[in-house]
Amino acid sequence: MRSDLRRLLDAAGQAAKEAAWLGLRRRRTSATYYMARDGSFDQAVGGIDDGIMVEALYDGQFAYAATPDMTPEGVAKAAASALASAKAAAGRGVHRFDASVRPATGARYETPRVRKAATAPDGVFGFLLASCGALKSSDEIIQTTSLVEAGRYDYEIVSTNGADIEQTLYYLGTSLQAVARRGDVVQLRTANGPRGLTRQGGWELLDTETLLKEASRVGTEAVELLGADTCPSDRRTLVLMPDQMMLQIHESVGHPLEIDRILGDERNYAGGSFVKASDIGSLRYGSDLMNISYDPTVPGELASYGADEIGNLAVKQLIIKNGILVRGLGSLESQARAGVPGVANQRATSWNRPPIDRMANLNLEPGSTSLKDMIASVEKGVLMRTNRSWSIDDYRNKFQFGCEYGTLIEDGKLTKTVRDPNYRGVSSTFWRSLSAVGDRGTFAAYGTPNCGKGEPNQVMFVGHASPVCAFSDVEVFGGGK
Amino acid sequence: MTNDFKAHFDAIKARALGELLPGERAAISYSAERSAYMRFNNGKVRQSGTVLQADLSIKLWKGAKSYSFQLGLSCDADVDDERVADAIGSARALLPLLPDDPYQAVPEAAESSDARYGGKLLPEGEIPARVLDPAAGLDFTGIYSQGLVCRAAANSAGADHWFQTETFLVDYSAWLPNGRAVKSSYAGRDWSDGEYAARIASTRGSLENLSKPEKVLTPGKYRAFITADALNEVVTFFSWNGFGERGLRQGESAYIAMREGRESMSPLFGFSQDFSLGVQPAFNDDGELAPDRLVVVEGGRIRNTIVCSRTAKQYGIPANGAGDEEEARSVAIDAGDLPEADALEAIGTGVYVSNFHYLNWSDVQAARITGMTRFSCLWVEDGEVVGPIKDMRWDESLYNMLGAKLEAVTRERHLIVESMTYDHRQVGGSLLPGLLVDGLSFTL
Repeated sequence: MRSDLRRLLDAAGQAAKEAAWLGLRRRRTSATYYMARDGSFDQAVGGIDDGIMVEALYDGQFAYAATPDMTPEGVAKAAASALASAKAAAGRGVHRFDASVRPATGARYETPRVRKAATAPDGVFGFLLASCGALKSSDEIIQTTSLVEAGRYDYEIVSTNGADIEQTLYYLGTSLQAVARRGDVVQLRTANGPRGLTRQGGWELLDTETLLKEASRVGTEAVELLGADTCPSDRRTLVLMPDQMMLQIHESVGHPLEIDRILGDERNYAGGSFVKASDIGSLRYGSDLMNISYDPTVPGELASYGADEIGNLAVKQLIIKNGILVRGLGSLESQARAGVPGVANQRATSWNRPPIDRMANLNLEPGSTSLKDMIASVEKGVLMRTNRSWSIDDYRNKFQFGCEYGTLIEDGKLTKTVRDPNYRGVSSTFWRSLSAVGDRGTFAAYGTPNCGKGEPNQVMFVGHASPVCAFSDVEVFGGGK
Repeated sequence: MTNDFKAHFDAIKARALGELLPGERAAISYSAERSAYMRFNNGKVRQSGTVLQADLSIKLWKGAKSYSFQLGLSCDADVDDERVADAIGSARALLPLLPDDPYQAVPEAAESSDARYGGKLLPEGEIPARVLDPAAGLDFTGIYSQGLVCRAAANSAGADHWFQTETFLVDYSAWLPNGRAVKSSYAGRDWSDGEYAARIASTRGSLENLSKPEKVLTPGKYRAFITADALNEVVTFFSWNGFGERGLRQGESAYIAMREGRESMSPLFGFSQDFSLGVQPAFNDDGELAPDRLVVVEGGRIRNTIVCSRTAKQYGIPANGAGDEEEARSVAIDAGDLPEADALEAIGTGVYVSNFHYLNWSDVQAARITGMTRFSCLWVEDGEVVGPIKDMRWDESLYNMLGAKLEAVTRERHLIVESMTYDHRQVGGSLLPGLLVDGLSFTL
């Protein structure tokens, strides 16, 4: 395969001789998606996509041309187009780049898998239909859905300065959902949020025995929520389980620390950041308990990889240390532009979009408090599980998030279930109210396969792992008109 | 490689439908484009380039079995001929392993359509100069895109539809050092340097209001004028947990209370799907046509829901050409009688909302959404602009915003063209008025 790409690079070089540097980035994606609804077949979908992005550097300016035509003629034509675009933009760029931001990296990476052979479609549907049955815990369940998605991403990168990268990522995700209704009250419950159970790995991730138990729990809790009071509206201690911490980290830590946002690239679409480049190294982002890592080396977490898509080798880096911001989430390009330390995170949704800064796996490191001790320490609080709503301002400061399931904490004990729990706050003060961080026993990783950003727009898969956390004095509230 | 996408589609269609065996039926949908992009920040090029892409979606039915697959195409006729044949062979082998599909809806529609809209676009080598030079001196950020976009669908019953359009879009914002910005766009089929220069001049003028001191609001209820641009963010919620029949039947819609008569919107509010806007084809992926106009909400009450053939089969009701996700397309919100020029006077004292940002549900069943104000939202006193507001979070039920609190709808409407480029340069748009709301709830 790589020898073919080398041959195509030669063809590109012939067509774009004036380029100071050329790179080819091939991406092949294959996926399957099976879904059952209310105990019956709903969808079975397969997909394959393949193409190449040619990148050319001319007079300090990179430009690209993406093509699905992977013949030497097709790639040569793309190379000529990329060079023409670079020439047209030369002297007008945000930064005068050189090939040092496209290192001559050699890298191989493949997702570790236990079960490499796929379960046959009839076997998958056997699970899907059974899980719909488990989700339907009572006649008050008016909809059940269960789906399994699996796929692989193949990446190949070669360049005129010697980059040689080959990576294959495998993922599998399961989504379980029940909708319950009693009178005018309707409640939806899922297993860890939409697509939250998406991880890198093989078909061992389709652990049907465990997932069927989860389906039963989800169905039972959907009905339980029908009889629950709405979440109270006041200020209290907020305890977030990892399947909500995932979202909290993503929106209020990950995005504001992306250096391309700090540099203003995203101001017209996804937004900027309340963080300035000069804050890196000194800003107190959170309490002393807050330690955030960029870690693409965690086996099984959704955004693990060996190198990013401009050839920067991926290694674990601490981003926030004891509450102090020490590093941004920016690629070699962003680091060169901003003059601050970053990570290997320039990634693209596919062959037809240029790589941009992405957060990859962004995790909150475990602390030392058990869940039992954490609950016992709270006089008045609410524990929330499973994200269902997310909204935050374009500087990533004022947020409002909602969860599927809440439990009141009164005098150190979990007492009663509440429905429609929401909370709101401001990122720059919220994390400073982090009052307890759970131990490794509470630590869990979830996937976010649908992070949108960029112009042209791109969807990216990222991963977040976190222990349970407590935040003091947070505004919480319930639903209703 | 070819840029003659119509010939490419015809060849693919002939292969895909020609491969069918007795008892097999299929629908195909096709998407292709050749696009040029230039992303810019602070008036300088961040990333630029071109994209050639084409893909095919095929639904294959045999007996009670259904299977779909999506295939990236190479744009080389011979390569793609093999890919399609291989994919059909693989699908054929997989079908027996699937359970029966109880709500299989094989399209019977056999209409044809062919709509082509040409354009006068910029020579690609001139894009940086022609787009950026007129904005010299501005902190100018956004994206320019242009090129040919094609959509097509056909099925084994004989439907055959083609849609192509050449368009451009400058989607931009211009920023002041104080962090305030004006958001605008220039879109169309025939580029005009003069029209673009006028748009940029208007943006420069709009920045003047934003250099005034910032007004910090306390949480509470405020009169608000919601512009068409801001309202466009709300239109998403007509599709997401929206007016699709399946969601209403299965508990996921936000409008169940409205359907059941427990809630309503204002008599002033109504919307339709209106394909006469000409920005999006009326056919769906199965080759079925939606009516030119479908009234969804009229006088604050649901008149029709959005129904795909699968839902129609499940519940024994008529379909109306919806896509599988039953999303609202080509939305046109009814006009009212408030002259747009009187908007500030009508506000009196309150907020002129230029743009919303990042909306999501607070409580789906209460049709309650939260979001932020963004860009050039202004504080108005006695009908006069005082200055920009510090961005605020708001949280409001659509049964209030489009219901009891809706005071007026503008006479003028604006066509807001689709700017999203996830996977493809998307087609579509909405025709929207401005709304005057009394008591929008600002929370943070």
